[in-house]
Amino acid sequence: MAAIEIRNLVKSFGPVKAVDGVSFSVEAGSVTGYLGPNGAGKTTTLRCLLGLVTPDSGEALVNGERYVALSNPVAEIGAVLEATSFHPGRTARNHLRILCTAAGLPDARADEALEQVGLADAAGKRVSGFSLGMRQRLALASALLGQPRVYILDEPANGLDPAGIEWLRGFLRHLAHDQGAAVLVSSHVLAEVERTVDNVVIIAKGRLVRQGSLAELTSDGADAVRVRAAQAADLAPALEAAGGVVEHVEDGLLRVRGLDPEAVGQVALDRRVVLTEVAQERSGLHKVFLDLTEGR
Amino acid sequence: MSGLVKAELRKLFTTRLWWIMLLVMLVLVGVGLGFLIAFAGVEQNGSALPARDTAAWAEVAWSSASSGGIFVMILGVVMMTSEYRYQTITGTFLTTPRRGLVIVAKVIAGLLVGAVFALAVLIFQAITVIPAVTLSGGEFSLSASRIPQISLGILVTLALYAVFGIGLGALVRNQIAGIVAAVVWAYVIESIFTGIPALHSVGKWLPGGAAQALMSIDVDTGLGRPEWLPAWAGAIVLVGYGLVFAAVATATTVRRDIT
Repeated sequence: MAAIEIRNLVKSFGPVKAVDGVSFSVEAGSVTGYLGPNGAGKTTTLRCLLGLVTPDSGEALVNGERYVALSNPVAEIGAVLEATSFHPGRTARNHLRILCTAAGLPDARADEALEQVGLADAAGKRVSGFSLGMRQRLALASALLGQPRVYILDEPANGLDPAGIEWLRGFLRHLAHDQGAAVLVSSHVLAEVERTVDNVVIIAKGRLVRQGSLAELTSDGADAVRVRAAQAADLAPALEAAGGVVEHVEDGLLRVRGLDPEAVGQVALDRRVVLTEVAQERSGLHKVFLDLTEGR
Repeated sequence: MSGLVKAELRKLFTTRLWWIMLLVMLVLVGVGLGFLIAFAGVEQNGSALPARDTAAWAEVAWSSASSGGIFVMILGVVMMTSEYRYQTITGTFLTTPRRGLVIVAKVIAGLLVGAVFALAVLIFQAITVIPAVTLSGGEFSLSASRIPQISLGILVTLALYAVFGIGLGALVRNQIAGIVAAVVWAYVIESIFTGIPALHSVGKWLPGGAAQALMSIDVDTGLGRPEWLPAWAGAIVLVGYGLVFAAVATATTVRRDIT
């Protein structure tokens, strides 16, 4: 049984189809990135999963059950949604204690969770004085209260400084890889999650575009070299002879895989071909992400 | 369930609004009482408030505490709307996905807070009205006057006004709109229909009129004799409003998408 299972989820707001038949699952012990541009339907999917929004059709299950059917949801799944969901006049500790009371957890969990996210010193401060990064940490602390095995984080890196993002990255990987939790983290900024996630689910305009492991997705666009030369037609066979896979992009422009720029330059020198451009193409998840989501 | 009620009470008592409301309520009840003390026995347009040393004046003065209902109602509005304003409703429903339970907990917490406010204002009445009567040469007797019934009426009224506020808050969700609606309701609509005896045929069916009936205030304050329902009917009407508002709160909250 998957920790998170989304099956043919559909949700419209008026005429807008926010989520249109999305299916994917998240397994324990891994971090899955839920990626897509703003407005792609990420938040709506997560809110359906958490019982905050009722889907038009399809299912969203946590540990095989609908969220509203969980007897003690806080102990099964921790969610971090917007960073603004605090009463500004309340202290961080009181905010967490209220959740503990409602969930039947001891008050001591509030301080333990604050310790875990590095907010112990600010426990008695009103949230109105918190920076965005501190609010994100507090939101994360609230997800930790019930010590669940499944975590959902909606754009958790928003408002974090680079050190905070690095900390979050380590924290999420620790939860998944050391504690065996299932972690689903959404983002519209790839750079934030690229080094955090094991698996990727990409969504655009409410539809699932691609899913797979990070390695599978990034291998597509890796190691390509753009080569521009007037005598491209002469150069191509030589590059292939040297072990490259050559693609003719347009007249005078080649895309070569399997060779690095230095090897390409060496082949050109041997063949006495003048190169007007040699460039390593932008590769990795970024390109995959842009290719898959642009123009859809 | 007791955990949920405790959580709701904690929500209220970990922010500052409750004691500000309590203070404002006591000040305004005190101002109203000041007028009643000043104008006791003074003749206006041929009729007059009873004199300060009479049991009738003590009853009118004591019952003026029911004007605290609006503050409890505002507190009820805020108990509901601040969840939407600050989006804490998300965390509330994540912790307790069965939303009906959250509403029940809020209603119970509201009744308790309303009762606490009622006790506070009754203590305030005791330390102001009793000296006002005795210093004027009158005799204050709990057993001879109808003060116990009036006190019970105030307790029930204030507790239920918190529930009215919760229902109103769930309906409008916008904090400012909810508070404005509560104030307009209490100070304009109810004041007109329950303040002018000629309009009591309508006013007696409103929560404010039902509250007056529950206290059975039958004293001519200079505008003519009131025509309230019998006390038991007032209680039924008031509780009926409480149930309606609680039902409204539940119906508007249970299925709504939280985005």
